[in-house]
Formats: sequence, C-alpha cells, structure tokens
Amino acid sequence: MASTEFLHGTRLRAAFDSPEGILAAVRALRAEGHRVLDTYTPFPVHGMDEAMELRPSRLPRACLGFGLLGLALAVALQVWTSAFDYPLRVGGKPLAAIPAFIPVTFELTVLLAGLGVVASLFVVAGLRPRFRVPDLHPGANDDRFVLACEVLAGSNPEDVATRLEGMGATGVALLVDDRLARADSFWERKAGPGIYLLAALPAAAVLGLLALLNRDYHFRNLSWDGGMGAQVSAASFDASGVLPGGTVLQPPPRGTVPRDGLAPLGFGPGKEEAARAGRELQNPFQPTQANFNRGRQVYERACAACHGKDGDNNAPIVTERKAFSPSILVSKKVVDQPDGYLFHVATFGGPEKMRGLGDLIGREDRWKVVLYLRELQKAAAPRPPSPPAAPPAAPAPGAKP
Amino acid sequence: MNPQEETFYVAPRDLTRPQFPTLADIGLKFQAGAWIFFSFGVLFLVIGGVANPAQGWANVLITAFNLTAVGLGGLFLLAIQSITGARWSDPILKAHRAMPALLPFAGLMMLLLWFGAGHLYPWSRPEAHHDHLMAGRHAWLNKPFFFARILLFFSLWILVGRRLVNKGKGAAAFILVFGLTFTLANFDWIMSLEPAWYSTIFAVYGFSGMFLQGIAIVTVSAIVLRHVGLLPEVSRAQNHDLGKLLFAFSCFWAYIWLSQFLLIWYANIPEETAPMRILLRLPWAPLFYLNLILNFLLPFVLLLGRKAKTNENILIATCATLLVGRWVDLYLNVMPAVLKGATPSFGVAEVGGILLQFCLGHMACWPVFMKDANPDQELPQRP
Repeated sequence: MASTEFLHGTRLRAAFDSPEGILAAVRALRAEGHRVLDTYTPFPVHGMDEAMELRPSRLPRACLGFGLLGLALAVALQVWTSAFDYPLRVGGKPLAAIPAFIPVTFELTVLLAGLGVVASLFVVAGLRPRFRVPDLHPGANDDRFVLACEVLAGSNPEDVATRLEGMGATGVALLVDDRLARADSFWERKAGPGIYLLAALPAAAVLGLLALLNRDYHFRNLSWDGGMGAQVSAASFDASGVLPGGTVLQPPPRGTVPRDGLAPLGFGPGKEEAARAGRELQNPFQPTQANFNRGRQVYERACAACHGKDGDNNAPIVTERKAFSPSILVSKKVVDQPDGYLFHVATFGGPEKMRGLGDLIGREDRWKVVLYLRELQKAAAPRPPSPPAAPPAAPAPGAKP
Repeated sequence: MNPQEETFYVAPRDLTRPQFPTLADIGLKFQAGAWIFFSFGVLFLVIGGVANPAQGWANVLITAFNLTAVGLGGLFLLAIQSITGARWSDPILKAHRAMPALLPFAGLMMLLLWFGAGHLYPWSRPEAHHDHLMAGRHAWLNKPFFFARILLFFSLWILVGRRLVNKGKGAAAFILVFGLTFTLANFDWIMSLEPAWYSTIFAVYGFSGMFLQGIAIVTVSAIVLRHVGLLPEVSRAQNHDLGKLLFAFSCFWAYIWLSQFLLIWYANIPEETAPMRILLRLPWAPLFYLNLILNFLLPFVLLLGRKAKTNENILIATCATLLVGRWVDLYLNVMPAVLKGATPSFGVAEVGGILLQFCLGHMACWPVFMKDANPDQELPQRP
C-alpha cells in the first residue's frame, strides 16, 4: 500500500474486536504521546470520551439556541394568529389559551432543536454530501472498532504498528492520504455527463411545477377521465340563465285561481280593508264542539304565547319579560269588533305590532279561532268588567330593581 | 504553647480500636433515631386523626402510597436494567435492591385503611348504595373486594420482587404483573376517592410520578453512599446517567400531566371538570402551580446543562425538589376529594405521615442494605 507523507505526520489505522480492546489501545497510544485522531465504533463506548480527553461538545449551546428559537416562534405564531390577527373564541376559552398552545410549542421547540443541532453538527464537522468517502477500514461502518492515530514525530510507525498488533489489533496499516484532501475540490473538478443530468433535475422539477400550478381550471388542460371531472353543472343559488331577472321560479300570472282549494280572499292588508272585512264577512262555521276544539287547539298553539291562554295577556312573555302589551282579547274593545275584523287581523296583522298569521294558519282554522275567541269572551264576561287586565301574576322578584 | 510543639503533636490513640464509627455503630444510632421518629410519627398521625379523621386517614393513604411508589420504583428500575442487560447501573444496584423492602410496610398501612375507608372512599359509605352514580360500580368498588385486591397486589409485588432482587430472575414477569396491578392500584386507591370522576390516563400519570420518585431516591442514595465511601465505584458517568434519567422523566411527568389536564380543561365536560375546578380556584391554586414548579420547571432548569447533571450538589437539590414535589402531587390528588373543598392545611397529621416515611424508609431498607455490606466497615473509609 502506498503511503503518503501527511502534512502533520504519519497516520495509522487499526481495527479491534471489542470495546475494551480499543479503549486500552487508545489509552496506551495517548500515554506514549501519539495523537488519537478519532475512533469509529458501532456504539458509544463508555469511557472513550475520557480516554481521548475530548473537550465537552459545544453543540448543546446550538441545541439550546435553536430550541429557544422554536419556542419563541411557536408562541409568537399562536398568540399572533389566535389572539391578534384573527381573534376567534373557541370553546369559551381565552383568546390566548396558553394550555392549548403547549403541544404545538413543545413540538416546534423539539423540532427546531433537533434539526438545528444536526445542521450545526454538519456545519461544524464539515460534513456535506460527497461522492467518495475515505475508506478507512471495511469494518469501520460495520461491527469493528477502528481507530485512526497520528504517530508522534520521531518515533517509528512500524514499532507503533507492532505494539498495536500486540494489543489485539488487526488490519493495522498506514493511512493513505484521504481523497478529500486532494488538490482539486469538488467545484473545480471537470464535470461529467452525470453532473449535467443532475443539474437539469431541479430545472425539470421547476418547469413541471410551473405547468402544474398554472393550470387554468376553466379549461380542460389534460383529460384522463373522459371529461367526467369537468362537467357543466349549475351551482346552487346561481342565477338562472333562462328566465329574465335570473329567477328560477316564475310567479303565477295575475288573477290565477287554484284548481282545488279555496278562492282568493279578496281582501288586502290595511285598516280600511279590515273595516270592510268586518262589514262584509261572516264566520262560515257554526259553533259546534268539533269546531270549538279545533279553534282551541290552534289558538293555544299560535295565539296563547302572547295573548295568554284565556285571552287576558297572562303569558310569560308579557307578564315577565314585558316585551310588549298586546290587545286584551277578552276586553270590551275586542268584544265589540265583528268576526270579520278579527279574522282580518289574524290574517294580515293588527293595527300595531301583531304580525299576520295568514301564511301559517289555514283560512278555516283562522275562522275557528275566531269562534273559540268568542267562547273565551263569553267565559270572561261574567267577571267584573275591568279586572282581567294583566294580573300581576307573581311578578318576577328581580325584575323591578 | 510552642507552635512547633503543636504542629507535631499527635493525639494518643488506641490503634487497636476502629478510628471511625463502623457501619454497625451507625446502624444502631440510626435505629434509635428511626424508632423515635416512628413513635413521633404515629403519635402525630393519631393526634391529627382524632382531630380530623378524614385528614388523618388521608395521610395514612399518602404515606402508604409514597412508600409503595418508592418500593416499586426500585423494583421497576431493577427490572428494566435486568431486561436490557444494562451495565452502567451495576455500581448503584445496592440502592435499588434495598428499596423493595418498603413494600410489606406499605401493604400493612394500606390494609390498615380498612378501618378508615368510610372517611376516604365515598363508595364504602352505606349511603352510596342509594347513589345512582355508583350503581354500576359496586361490583368493583366494595370493601371486601377492594382490600382483597390490595392484598393480592402486594403479595404479587413482594413475591415476584423478591425473586427479582435475590436471584435476578423474573424481570419480564414483574414488568407484566406491575403494569397491570399498578394501573389498577392507581384507579383503586387514588381515583376512586372521587368515584364519579375518571380519567383513563390516570394510571400512566401515577406511573410517571412513581418512576420519577424511584429515580430520585436512587440518585440521592447513590450520592450519599458514595460520599461516605460505600459505593466507591460510582463515578461521574453514573451521576450523569442518573441526571439524564431525572431530567427525562421529569419531562415525561409533565407530558403526562399536561395530557390529562389539557383534555379536561379544553373539553370542559362538567363531571370531569369538577375536581379540576377546585384546584384552579384560590385556596388550592398556589399548590396546583407549586406542583408544576417542583416537579417540572425547577428540575428542568436545574438539570438542563450537561455539567449540572454531573454536579452532585445540583443533583441532590433537584432530587429534594422532586421528592417534595411528589408529595405535593399526591397531596393534590388525595386531599381535595377528602376535604371536600375545604382549605388545604399542613397539620400534625401531615408531619406525622412524612416522619413515618423517613423512619420506615430507614427501618425497612437498612437491614437489606447491611446484608451485603461489612458491618465492621468504618465510615468514612480511609483513603
């Protein structure tokens, strides 16, 4: 094996079979003043750091720095996004919900600390992708314990090699100049065709991405599904292109009469119309038990919420919330109104606040409600004339102050 | 006096007698101290228990659980080192071997709870039979079965553990037995203090604390024994390894703690939140945060550096922090449920419980430790 004179002296390699062997050899070499460059072991050998008198690593500082960076980034990102940039309350928690941030903070801290310390190691140790690595010993990346040492200037390398072999070393050899130290660096080397191919890869990737990202989704760029992915379909709530104004459903023409069902009412909203209804309309239903029951059913479902079950405004929304005060249905004012007027109010709404219920309650049911209302008024009539006006009905204790 | 004369003055000594106290002497001295502490501990516990039975029995539970945790921590460390064939810990195994001797004492204390179960466990009270929340749980949570389980767990631990300590065999069997029984023990002894509250991660939480406590005790013992010269083989490397374990499992405890807390805090389901709410409110909140500081923040900061992990003073300080933290953690797991929202207090019963932990620790472990030590050995050893 050709040996080359190194800049610093002669270098030897030796392989051992056990951690104890290499540890003893390192100690012996160092005791004689030789320099142990490095050891390559399948696993960390306890006591090797001390035997080689390695300085404590400075990498933990990089690790701490990157960890703190990750911590700061994570906290800043989460607090900024969820408390400042887009404040959104989730689950009744504070905007800066610290416990909820901990998992992400932890992960980002660990991620940056881990990646950062590995990157720092690469930078500090000068590791970078290489085409050729020095072939120290075939077992160095396997199960052997290999050391590389530099022989003390002035001593005979062959004597050292013999001593190493005496300590159980195999494959002791002078180290040839490692190829990394060759005169022409990676960048100065003459490029082969492979390099051009490699250099073309990123460009190809970028071009491919450009084509992919610049797809125009309004057109069919490349179809491999027979066009099934690009069907023409209407989106919901889209304007129709068929009818004028973009409407989808056309209203029936004026004067249209339904083929089955009731004829149009012939009244519109408003006070005059209500008065006219009072004059012109008669309740078409007789006060039978069935009509009465139906009227009560509808009244209690639709009217009692505000007017009270007995038409005396005794409904929680009036007595407790004091939201508004509807007309008292069993009062003289209402008793004196004709049926048609009441029917009109139920249909189109009252003179003040009441909204019309014509779209919710059928026409027959509205007449039956009027029927039931008359019965309510009869039931309330024997009482003294004025009292049913909103009995205080257990006023809410906290409402007054 | 002539200074020269003083310099060369050598006190007359009887060189036939040992110059330093031997291990046997120290053992006798400690034994006396331990008995005194023991009687004081029992006395305080009884006084505290008479004043407030619930608090007294809760302290018996805390003491017993802490002793169990230390005993099992030693066994568990021994078992994983046996399984992995670890050799870094060979010099400090003396400490591991002595710790399981605590288990019989802890078991007796747990069985003693038979007389105080009514004060601690709502399910053991007669009115619990009318509580619809407990309707399905009586099959598992009833007094005879509960104490039969305690007996079973401790006999398993003691039997399997003895084989592991004496013969170095059965480590895998111990891990299996331990994993199942310790999970159930946590659910039984601590979580059933509030039978309507449950957390599926609770046993892992208990395990993380127990393991942390075990490592802390081992670290303290290794450092103290090395200082008096009984573990000459312990080196910086062991300290570093123990420091790394402490650091890692302090973080692990915090990880598990957060895993439990975060879900309860975020989901905010009433039946889960109720006990946590007490802790987050004022009389308990300082203890709640103290728990985090003692068990995670302080150890994390103290042990972050590599040099700190080999520094014995820092290690001892961290272990002290952690051991106090373990007690606070257990206190927070037990007391709010027992005191029913009353103000936390550190009274006579707590002092008694802590004294008992120390003296039982000595009384149980010293004889085991002396088995493979020379009683005539002097301390400190002459260089």
